[in-house]
Amino acid sequence: MLQSHLAVCVWIPLFALRCEEGRRPELASRPTALLSPEDTRRVWMVSPVARRMGVRPGVTVSQAIGLCPPLVLLESDPVWYDEQFAHLLLALSDVSPVIEPAELGRAYVGVDGLEGLYGPPERVIAEIVRAVDRWSATTDHPTTRPPYRLGWGRGKFTAWVAATRAKPGEFVMVADQGRHEFLTSQPVAALPLDPDTHRRLYQLGLKTLGNLTALPEAAVTSQFGRLGRLVWRLAAGLITDPVTGREVPEPITAELDFPTPIADRVILANTIDKLVERALQSPRRTGWRVHTVRARAVLEQGASWLIDITLKDPSADQHRLTAPLKMRLEQAPPTGAVERLAVEFTAFAPGTTELQLFARDAESAARAGRRKALRAAVHEIKTRLKRSTLYHVIEVHPWSRLPERRYALIDYEP
Amino acid sequence: MVAPPRTPLRVDRLRALNAPQPVEVELDAQGRPAAVRPRQNGRTAGTAAPHRVEAIGEIWRVDDEWWRQPISRRYFDVVLEGGGHVVLFEDLTTNQWWIQKP
Repeated sequence: MLQSHLAVCVWIPLFALRCEEGRRPELASRPTALLSPEDTRRVWMVSPVARRMGVRPGVTVSQAIGLCPPLVLLESDPVWYDEQFAHLLLALSDVSPVIEPAELGRAYVGVDGLEGLYGPPERVIAEIVRAVDRWSATTDHPTTRPPYRLGWGRGKFTAWVAATRAKPGEFVMVADQGRHEFLTSQPVAALPLDPDTHRRLYQLGLKTLGNLTALPEAAVTSQFGRLGRLVWRLAAGLITDPVTGREVPEPITAELDFPTPIADRVILANTIDKLVERALQSPRRTGWRVHTVRARAVLEQGASWLIDITLKDPSADQHRLTAPLKMRLEQAPPTGAVERLAVEFTAFAPGTTELQLFARDAESAARAGRRKALRAAVHEIKTRLKRSTLYHVIEVHPWSRLPERRYALIDYEP
Repeated sequence: MVAPPRTPLRVDRLRALNAPQPVEVELDAQGRPAAVRPRQNGRTAGTAAPHRVEAIGEIWRVDDEWWRQPISRRYFDVVLEGGGHVVLFEDLTTNQWWIQKP
């Protein structure tokens, strides 16, 4: 596991709306709102223009239109947003090998040791900005530059708070010496807590992180439990939460030796199908989509054959991987009979399914996209382990005075 | 087709959640938990240091099901050293202590 204590938070607020503006630039100047993926009668994300006209996330569609008649309402497209975010992560991985996605539109870049490569922190930031611009240039309408905000600090929390203080298109850097003073004046809204806990903090009159850390740690712990202890220590700058990246897997190869050399293209195409299926089942591939796939063959008389495909949209779907290989097989077949055929995955991109499953921004995964992702994950687990290890929590006697009788687990079958 | 409402629940597919685990508890002078030492497979977990109880929240008692297997328990809602929030109870029929999530 790759870790970095120095972190840069790359934050693109209202990421889903920015993706829509990338597709339809005319939306940028109009009041726009995305419908909630969970409940299409309610508004989920609101553009600044619409917000100025009084529309707030969570209001009903009729209320929103009442407040702002020219409001443009859009159905959310979570798969598109996830794909865009995966491309952004891919661009950032050119700068640092340690990338950790937090939610749609927010990712952390580990920058430990990068000064040896790029120079002082300002240069590292400039590289990250270039990566974001490269990503932005690959979207449908590259003229719409996303209003990113960057924060530099020790630990993800400090970097995140710094990013929330940055102006659009700019960065805020928090030096180690000034970290405590910086955090003290920040609002408690920066803490990674659920809305209920935030409300409790406000009801207790705690507005800033300084207010929180002025209380004894034990008092916060007894009021909010383990989470209280964690946030108190984060707010006091006593702990740094490192950026944790995942190592990109080594190339995955599946190959087959033919007992007698084969020249029949139908057999070769079927073999490619089987080899792609086998390579996809490799445990190392879990959580990654394939970006580059290669088929190579050893021919009779020692010759060889190679086709190399880079997918525009990385995929873990067998058909999407085999289709271009088969097309190239038809266009440029081997010049002799094949003795050995191999399929190799040589480059990977973070998996969309993984993002949808594990992104902490629960709202970002629409019900349909999430169920699809869950079905794929359940299928993959069943195939690998021969049984499901996923369970659903059901209520049995939720009001029972005996805690063990309130809930039970049942096999999960989406 | 909508399943009839009286379709029995597949109880054989249910798995217990939050089942209480046996625990060793050190008591203070008032008979309240002062420290806990988790047990594994019914035995004390090696030489692991006990977790000190930092605060006790609610205390309540459950006496129930006297008509079949009587249940008589005294519950303590406690915060452990390090911030862990757990429920401890003493089975008053066997004098054994158990731990579970709140």
